[in-house]
Amino acid sequence: MTKIEAIIQPSKFEAVKEGLQEIGVEGMTVTDVRGHGRQKGHTEVYRGREYTVDLVPKVKIEMVVPDDLVERAIQAIVGSAKTGKIGDGKIFVSHIDDAIRIRNDERGQGAL
Amino acid sequence: MSAAAVPNLRDLYLSESGQIRARYQESGDGMAAVRERAALVDSIAQQLYSTFIAHEPGSAEGFCLAALGGFGRKVLFPGSDVDLLFLTADGRTEQQYKPGIASLCREMWDLRMRVSPATRSLAECGRLYRDNLEFNVSLLDCRYLAGDPQLFARLHDVVVPQLVVRERQALVQNLAELTRTRHTKYGQTIFHLEPNVKEGPGGLRDYNVACWLALISALEKRQPRPPAGLLAQELREDCLRAFDFLCAVRCFLHYRQGRDDNALSYELQAEAAAAGVGAKANRALEPAEWMRLYFRQARIIDRAATQFLDDVEGARSSLYHAFDDWRSRLSNADFQVSHGRILLRQSTAMEDASTALSLFEFVARHGLKISRDAEHRIEKALPLLRQRLPGLPRFWDRLRTILTLRYAADALRGLHRTGLLTILLPEFHFIDALVIRDYYHRYTVDEHSFIAIENLHRLRQAEEPRFAEILAETERPELLFLTLLVHDIGKGMPAENHIVGSLQVLDPILARLELDADAADTVRFLVANHLEMSVALSRRDIFDPETVRALAAKIGTPERMKMLCLLTYTDIKSVNPEALTPWKAEMLWQLYAETINHMNRSLDEERLHPGQLPVARAHPETTGDELKEFLAGFPKRYLLTHSAAEITQHLRMAEALAEAPVQLSVEKRSHHYELTLVTTDRPMLFATIAGTLAAWGMNIVKADAYCNQAAVVLDTFHFTDLFRTFELNPTEIERFQNNLLSVLSGELSLAALMAGRAKPGGMRPAKVTIQPRLTFDDHSSSHSTLLELVAQDRPGLLYHVSSKLAKQGCNIEVALIDTEGQKAIDVFYLTVGGAKLDAARQKALAEALLQDI
Repeated sequence: MTKIEAIIQPSKFEAVKEGLQEIGVEGMTVTDVRGHGRQKGHTEVYRGREYTVDLVPKVKIEMVVPDDLVERAIQAIVGSAKTGKIGDGKIFVSHIDDAIRIRNDERGQGAL
Repeated sequence: MSAAAVPNLRDLYLSESGQIRARYQESGDGMAAVRERAALVDSIAQQLYSTFIAHEPGSAEGFCLAALGGFGRKVLFPGSDVDLLFLTADGRTEQQYKPGIASLCREMWDLRMRVSPATRSLAECGRLYRDNLEFNVSLLDCRYLAGDPQLFARLHDVVVPQLVVRERQALVQNLAELTRTRHTKYGQTIFHLEPNVKEGPGGLRDYNVACWLALISALEKRQPRPPAGLLAQELREDCLRAFDFLCAVRCFLHYRQGRDDNALSYELQAEAAAAGVGAKANRALEPAEWMRLYFRQARIIDRAATQFLDDVEGARSSLYHAFDDWRSRLSNADFQVSHGRILLRQSTAMEDASTALSLFEFVARHGLKISRDAEHRIEKALPLLRQRLPGLPRFWDRLRTILTLRYAADALRGLHRTGLLTILLPEFHFIDALVIRDYYHRYTVDEHSFIAIENLHRLRQAEEPRFAEILAETERPELLFLTLLVHDIGKGMPAENHIVGSLQVLDPILARLELDADAADTVRFLVANHLEMSVALSRRDIFDPETVRALAAKIGTPERMKMLCLLTYTDIKSVNPEALTPWKAEMLWQLYAETINHMNRSLDEERLHPGQLPVARAHPETTGDELKEFLAGFPKRYLLTHSAAEITQHLRMAEALAEAPVQLSVEKRSHHYELTLVTTDRPMLFATIAGTLAAWGMNIVKADAYCNQAAVVLDTFHFTDLFRTFELNPTEIERFQNNLLSVLSGELSLAALMAGRAKPGGMRPAKVTIQPRLTFDDHSSSHSTLLELVAQDRPGLLYHVSSKLAKQGCNIEVALIDTEGQKAIDVFYLTVGGAKLDAARQKALAEALLQDI
């Protein structure tokens, strides 16, 4: 089992969600987050006051999928979230040792 | 003895219970079901009493069995506890009957009833249990079942009434406290996605509270007891119908769940709707429609309970009494304030439409509640008010006052509750208790509108400083409040979407309010576009310049942008308490700031061309050609920020330049004066006007300067009259105009004028120190260099700044002057010799300006 964590533009969330559902990924956890990459943002001025646009709003999607679905899930995310511009986001992939369904103690891939 | 000694009791109970359930499912009559169930349990309890207790020696005297709580009220729900009181004449008797009591209770448990027994002596029932006042309250509903009737009569007719009279304050305070705690647990609102029909506000417990308070009041006044659980005199028919409805719902839940479960879950709402629970003729309804029915009933019960609670006079602290006394000083000729509630004086004619509205203005101003008696008088006056309110003159003035006062939402709820709001705005009926049934919209649509208005007012309490500042800068906030009131009416209409629906009803509303054309346009615009920013937040990249550009083009002006931003903020915030997360608020603010900046920085780029014919803005008296010629070269914003009448006036002023080279007008507005000047462009023009105003002691708060292709300049200055010169001496307005003309023609020296007139010392010392800031921007405009200047506002500042600009050889293509408190925020689009300022010129200008500001 593999955990995929994707940080994307909020405006791309619906498209990414649909793309994942199309390939059979149903379960996911979605969080509103803020962050920045290497660019670290910039300073703007509004009516004489500076405000820093450094932590930019993003959406983080987390899901755990069977290993044989990982590549397709990544492609679904990239395909929907990509604009080619700075700020498109990132995907992180990590191995999961186990998964347990709380309701009935089911373990392993069946618990997904 | 065992159950075998009471043959067939189990069969009897099961059989009868089944029949009661079948009859309920057939008829949907919850009241009948709970009464029948109470009668059945009566019979069981009496039989068991006969079996286990009545045979004891002396059982006829000094001992009896009574029903308490819901059972005592003959309202016994399928899953509810059976509250029993074993009443003894004294403590010795209790020991004698202990085995019998235990057997009786055990048998009832074996029959799967949840028995809640209490054994007390008569003397004990007459005591107040401060740590268990619920027991004392349960005695209010006591009802004879079996045993010594004289003993019970002493409890019912003597001991309980005496307790109430003696301990009324404690009982009432306790009830009030328990209710408030319960309401707090449920967020002080009847609106929940999955309400609790017993414990939630507007639920059955609230009905019981209203009944208990009325009963306590009756006992205290030595009046006859009303029938148990019913208050025919105190509560209106709709309250009794609401109680019937809730009984039906609770029966449905208990039978469905097989236990005392009172949570109306999302799934059970759909089942109840399909079964037509509580509906007329048990007609199946859509879940949203059924929940609308539910909330209407809950609202009635909530209102009744709240009114009874508000009548409670507690032994509050002296501090509260002192505060209460202060509030009573708010009383006036029509309304008296007592214990935080508004009472109508005897002479107050509620049938008078104006007086009726004044009452709610009073609520909006002070945040006080209307007393039960006052609401009754409004209800009595309704037939006449239905005729008189629609024709009320200057209705918009009255509504505007209510909307812009701090407690507007409370007043609107009161108007809605009493039926007056739908008399004044019949269209509002479409969204009365309308439910949007999803996991996002927590409130009914009408309540959402009231909460949105409440949230907008709360901004003024500095809840969110950035958005609070935007509200403070909004020129006509009343239009925003009006928009919040009407923006979702379309959700209750059969239109292709709710915006279309809202716009359909908007024109008749605006016509009745007799709003001026600009105001009507603004409200229409806001309603039509109230989802624009939400859509941008969720579906577009807010940092993409194209998103910002498109939004700016759609919204048009900074003023509308401010209003739309606030509308979006409050609309989202009022969907449910968690909807506007800090994340979302940050996104909204950043989109707003980016768009406003774009609007101010792109003015130069978006100019009207001769090919464009603003037909829609043309006044009938003008021709297309003369208007085209006048408008060519002005920024597009000029069209968006001026009405057709204003544009025509400016056109006429431009045409009159042939006769007099400077045309000007000074008009009084609500909070400021407006100077409009049309002339041909010349050096030092802007500075000269600013200087003349400063010399006259006027404080410039806003200004726009535009120039068209024909080098005709249109300058507009909004200024406040610091020394009330014009207000106290209206003839000075003409003298000022003549002064300005003389200065512009060179006949009069500006320097001499400024030297001889008011000194800036008239201003109070600054409360906030503003650090000066200059920013040059060569990228936003392809023609000009933008100068953004922020500085401490003071009279004469604009003159000094614009003079420096002129002395440095700068031509002001466009100027946007604004003030925010003590901060001057000025944007100039500058050219030198028709080109942008080079780096050296920018440096020199910055040094010159910083010396002055």
